[in-house]
Amino acid sequence: MGIKWLVIKNLIFFLLPALILITVFLIYPVIHVIYLSFIDRKGNFVGFENYIRTIFRSDVLDLIRLGRFFTKPPPYGAFIHNLLWILIHLPLTVFLGLLLAVILRNVRGASIVKATIFLGMIVPMVVSGIVIHFTFEEETGVVNVLLRLIGITPKSWLAYPETALYTLILGSVWLWTGFSMIVYSAGLESIPRELYEAAEIDGATVLHKFLFITIPLLKPVTITVVTMTVLWELKMFDYVFTSTRGGPGGATNVMALQIYHDYFVFGEPDLASALASILTLITLGIALVALRPVLRVRTARR
Amino acid sequence: MIRRMLVLLMIVAIVLGITSPLLGQEQVTLILIGPWSGKEMEAFLPVIEEFEKMHPNINVEYRIMRTEDVAKVLPAQFEAGITFADVIFMAWPWFVAEKAKEGHLLDITDIISPEDFWPREFIDVVTIDGKIYASPYAAWVKPGFWYRKSLFEKYGLKVPTNYEEFKELLTKLKEILGSKKAIASGDTVGWPLSDVTEHFLIYFGGKELWKDIRAGKVDWTKDERIRKAFTELTELLKAGYFSDPADWTIRLTEWWEGEYGVYFMGNWIIGMVEDPGDLGLFPLPGIKGVVIGSDWVFIPKYTKHPEEAKLLVKFLASPKGQVIYCNNSGKIPTNIRLKPEEMASFVKEQVEALKGLAALGDLDDTLGGKFQLTFWDQLKRLWVHPEELEDVLAKIQEAYVETLAAKG
Repeated sequence: MGIKWLVIKNLIFFLLPALILITVFLIYPVIHVIYLSFIDRKGNFVGFENYIRTIFRSDVLDLIRLGRFFTKPPPYGAFIHNLLWILIHLPLTVFLGLLLAVILRNVRGASIVKATIFLGMIVPMVVSGIVIHFTFEEETGVVNVLLRLIGITPKSWLAYPETALYTLILGSVWLWTGFSMIVYSAGLESIPRELYEAAEIDGATVLHKFLFITIPLLKPVTITVVTMTVLWELKMFDYVFTSTRGGPGGATNVMALQIYHDYFVFGEPDLASALASILTLITLGIALVALRPVLRVRTARR
Repeated sequence: MIRRMLVLLMIVAIVLGITSPLLGQEQVTLILIGPWSGKEMEAFLPVIEEFEKMHPNINVEYRIMRTEDVAKVLPAQFEAGITFADVIFMAWPWFVAEKAKEGHLLDITDIISPEDFWPREFIDVVTIDGKIYASPYAAWVKPGFWYRKSLFEKYGLKVPTNYEEFKELLTKLKEILGSKKAIASGDTVGWPLSDVTEHFLIYFGGKELWKDIRAGKVDWTKDERIRKAFTELTELLKAGYFSDPADWTIRLTEWWEGEYGVYFMGNWIIGMVEDPGDLGLFPLPGIKGVVIGSDWVFIPKYTKHPEEAKLLVKFLASPKGQVIYCNNSGKIPTNIRLKPEEMASFVKEQVEALKGLAALGDLDDTLGGKFQLTFWDQLKRLWVHPEELEDVLAKIQEAYVETLAAKG
């Protein structure tokens, strides 16, 4: 009884400070946002009305424009823009990160190159947004200077709806590739060298070793990288806010920015809360599904 | 020994008695929030120095914060009954009026005489139930297209006297500048594009259109005056006279260096160019009004130094408080008691040029909310895709209706 009580007392003693902080700064705000999403501005319960209103508006989901995807440039709505971000940015950063990690493995001076690439992760997103804004500017942007050298007419890439979103996505690749490269580099170090040596004795080529040893053994790392990248893409805000503010004409709008506009600029806390709840649900769902295999492995090991 | 101690105590008591009125003047520091940085801030800081000379017991600490940021932070502070500054400048009178209605601002009726100000509307927009809550401090005006006199002289160009001549001028500029554009287009959050658009709206719709828009009486997709203004504007865009929008300060430098012919901007650029004497200006010929705005200075109710804050606002509202800044920045004084001989020549010229023109409030700043953001964002889209005019107008109309509904 005495020992059990001591354990409980210690548990309370060590967990309480963290629990209080989590409750005040995480659980309560989340619950309050969910509560706000079910009421109107007068405080009346409205069921799922805010959810329907927030999703089916052109700022979030422009189905008509989306139907003409191949003939009309963005905006297609913030939700679709987030999806496009995942579709383009995710494979690029994951692949580039893996490629760089493999290429730079056991290379002298690689740490300097890795540190340079990792700079994208260190720079605050707010700064990155401003950097990207000027990088693609018509007269002063370094991209146009390079394009001019190969005979391409310079333009303000972020001023046009047809190029703005894709420019932002491509521009953000350097911001995140550093993350996947570093995680993959750590993952590569954990693969036993004996496996490669055994494969070499069996006559495996470089490609064989990469496909049948490296990639399968990096699966847990890949899951982590993919999950973190998708969550980053869904939560995208500061980078877009400082570079284009969602424009021109809503062409680069994303969900988090829409929530911000709804709440702080348009004074619509009901719509903002509903959209915030949806975004939280999506990110939570993705995180749970993606991390389940990793968690299962850990449970099995125990 | 005891006697010496008593004498010493008496001396201390006498000294304290003499100096007590001075000691009673407690040193106070006021936090002043303003939007100006760089050269604009350099033009304003001497005003604070002058005030501090007049009131040695008050220090004024100037901090930079843009209007957009003040509008985001202040509501939460006010709800909590606190404020991060004692005196605040803000370019959006609708926001000031909103916060005054909610009871967060200090009534300053006792230190402001409405008859001292021009345009009078600047006082009216921040007057709630007969009480004044802010003072307009130096007006910026968006009078028209700026050009470099030296460039016009070099190529024998003349200021247009009618709309046809304006278009001819653009054609000539296009020929002269080659691959560059005749008109530089600035960008930030979006106001440079809305400024030039508003100029076209006033030109084709007059001040009546302004009144109708603000009263919620127009349909942006159907109103003939709006359609005419936008049709003319999009024709110029399609003809390639306007540059792509880019950071307005970069465009200012490029235009000054001769890469663009003319630039639509406010009079604040006077203080930003190397040689204001080389600046020329023309509005769309025959226009009947110009957009004039100001920075309104107000005191949050939650300041700990209301009396000192009032002294500062009273000084800023006075001719003395405005003349230094106006002569340094090129802006126009809002206090009409300021004597013309005290004004710099380029300020006086503007005051003269504005005579007979209707002073109209900035459209997007006045309506604010969703309209403002949509107006800015859709114009960015129109600038690069003028063929999407119908959809742009539909989006603006949608936001216009929503904003008016939200205002009740």
